[in-house]
Amino acid sequence: MRERGGLIDGLHYRLGRSVLIGVPLAILVIWTTIPIVWAVLASFKDPLEIYESNTLLPANPSLDAYKTVLSMRGFDQWLFNSVFVTVVATIVPLAISILAAYGFSRYAFRFRHILLLLYLVPRIIPRVSLIVPLNNLMSDLGLVNTYWVLFITYTASAIPLATWILVGFFGSIPKEIEESATIDGANMWNRLRRVILPIAWPGVVTAGVLCIREAWNEFAFVLALINETDMRTLPYQLYMLKDSMGVQDYAVYNAFTILTVLPLLIVYLLLERRVVDSIVSGAVK
Amino acid sequence: MSASFVEFHDLRKSFGAVEVLHGIELAVQQHAFVVLVGPSGCGKSTLLRMIAGLESITSGFISIGGRVVNRIPAKDRGIAMVFQSYALYPHMTVRENLAFSLEMAKIKKDVMKARIERAAGILHLEPLLERFPAQLSGGQRQRVAMGRALVREPELFLFDEPLSNLDAKLRVEMRVEIKALHQRLESTTIYVTHDQVEAMTMADLVVVMNDGRIEQSGPPLDLYDNPATMFVAGFLGSPAMNLIKGTVATDGSAPVLDVGDGLQLPLPAGIREKPGAEIVYGLRPEHVSIGPPGSGLPATITLVEAAGWETHLYADMGQHVARIVSAERLNVAHGDHVSLVPDVSCAHLFDATTGARLSID
Ligand SMILES: Nc1ncnc2c1ncn2[C@@H]1O[C@H](COP(=O)(O)OP(=O)(O)O)[C@@H](O)[C@H]1O
Ligand SMILES: [Mg+2]
Repeated sequence: MRERGGLIDGLHYRLGRSVLIGVPLAILVIWTTIPIVWAVLASFKDPLEIYESNTLLPANPSLDAYKTVLSMRGFDQWLFNSVFVTVVATIVPLAISILAAYGFSRYAFRFRHILLLLYLVPRIIPRVSLIVPLNNLMSDLGLVNTYWVLFITYTASAIPLATWILVGFFGSIPKEIEESATIDGANMWNRLRRVILPIAWPGVVTAGVLCIREAWNEFAFVLALINETDMRTLPYQLYMLKDSMGVQDYAVYNAFTILTVLPLLIVYLLLERRVVDSIVSGAVK
Repeated sequence: MSASFVEFHDLRKSFGAVEVLHGIELAVQQHAFVVLVGPSGCGKSTLLRMIAGLESITSGFISIGGRVVNRIPAKDRGIAMVFQSYALYPHMTVRENLAFSLEMAKIKKDVMKARIERAAGILHLEPLLERFPAQLSGGQRQRVAMGRALVREPELFLFDEPLSNLDAKLRVEMRVEIKALHQRLESTTIYVTHDQVEAMTMADLVVVMNDGRIEQSGPPLDLYDNPATMFVAGFLGSPAMNLIKGTVATDGSAPVLDVGDGLQLPLPAGIREKPGAEIVYGLRPEHVSIGPPGSGLPATITLVEAAGWETHLYADMGQHVARIVSAERLNVAHGDHVSLVPDVSCAHLFDATTGARLSID
């Protein structure tokens, strides 16, 4: 009897637990994916269908909207701009942040904590409030409408984020592991490259993904500091679509949105795999 | 310089304004197994880390193999260190862990392979070479940590409490193994522990530390039989030595120690202290026996530990607790009234204020 009771209790428990976890999870998933699903479906519709019918599924699914987007004059250039700026604004801040975080997590220098807090200032100040002074500064330097202005502003805003993440990861690596490496004859560069970075790899990837996301999605700075059509990034152009089209072609609009989001999604999926793998393989104790 | 392999001279270490090592002087012979032992926080690890080159030297010097190493980086000191936490590289296989120092030293591939195989052979690591540290048991990780030290072929092995993360049985096994390895390699070893049993069983030379100073150093049995201070007397040996404070008095012509409650312990005839002096009387538990009723000091048994090979007794004697070890299986039980007979010839006497050993004529 008791065994059966136990079994049934166990079932109840497991059922209760899956409901408790499953239902909120389902709501969350639906909540976050509905807009994307809606956008995907809308991108397959005829231009006027969105105004005419209320059905979710397209009546005559077609790729016309995508063809329109891809054949837009300048699309290649905008895509290139986005990719180029994102690559630079990920690699440079990561490299700087790795060195900074190593210093912060390993050396007990004076004002360490104050400095680490000051590091956050650029992220605490609202981005919009920086636009006017930045614009003045950058036009004085003659950098408006160049890649430099995006490299500089994106790198500057990514460094604090990446550094803070990496300080946490580096700091959690036991000091003795690095001391072992020191005795084993590794200099600082080798300790960083062969010991610290591989162990903190999930942290590096996390920081990298966030840098990519920030640069790829950035809107305020590019809007303020770029005004040549050829220098636009995808989010900027997405915003400009609204003005440039007389009657709003929602299918094209949504196709553009999907094409803007897609690369980021792919990066997420690829890198998340790496992070999960490295954790699962027991690389980090 | 002299023939000793490792030397410390007036070695001091401060962290900020706090001095934690106060002028260490020690000479270690080549091939010796030296154990630094002392309570937690006494500065053992700091001393070891200074030898390794992981901690700077505030003043004084350390020499290894006749060479002052104060300014020599860790990797060039000819040492290898095994950490308490093992500090294995978690992202590398056992083989890669062993290979790392050799790669850093740019050792040729075939030499490297031979050295790894030799270390793996000695420590029975062959079946584990392709595993990651997370896939090993505590004892196996311990072995890998030793393997990593071994491949460097150091002149001096440093161990910092290497066994404290292992269970009791494995600890005893590894103790034997480390000692056997030391004898086989004819290396010099400095081993840190807070466990006096490890110190007594493994060391050629025990160095007892307390509060940043060396209390006494010497062969284990010398320290056991002739502790220079009350601290050493109480630290080495388990169960610990009986240390009873009292006042020197005389009973007729014989000197005795008045320990309160009307109890008097006989003192050795050669004692130099005058009546009225405060001293501490030390007697190892194995030098107390249970005599016929009325033959000694009255006491009440409070605890009996029958370990098998010997029996540990704890007894209340006035306000003092007496520890007794007997090689026999005694027929006593909790609450029994017994008569304790100290072996006066084995007594150790210490100054009650300084803790220094008092000599007896
Ligand atoms: N990095 C450090 N900074 C400040 N104090 C330290 C540091 N390392 C050790 N100490 C202090 O030095 C003393 C000795 O420590 P340690 O050598 O670790 O002792 P043990 O290994 O004998 O337990 C302790 O009081 C400890 O608090
Ligand atoms: Mg220690």
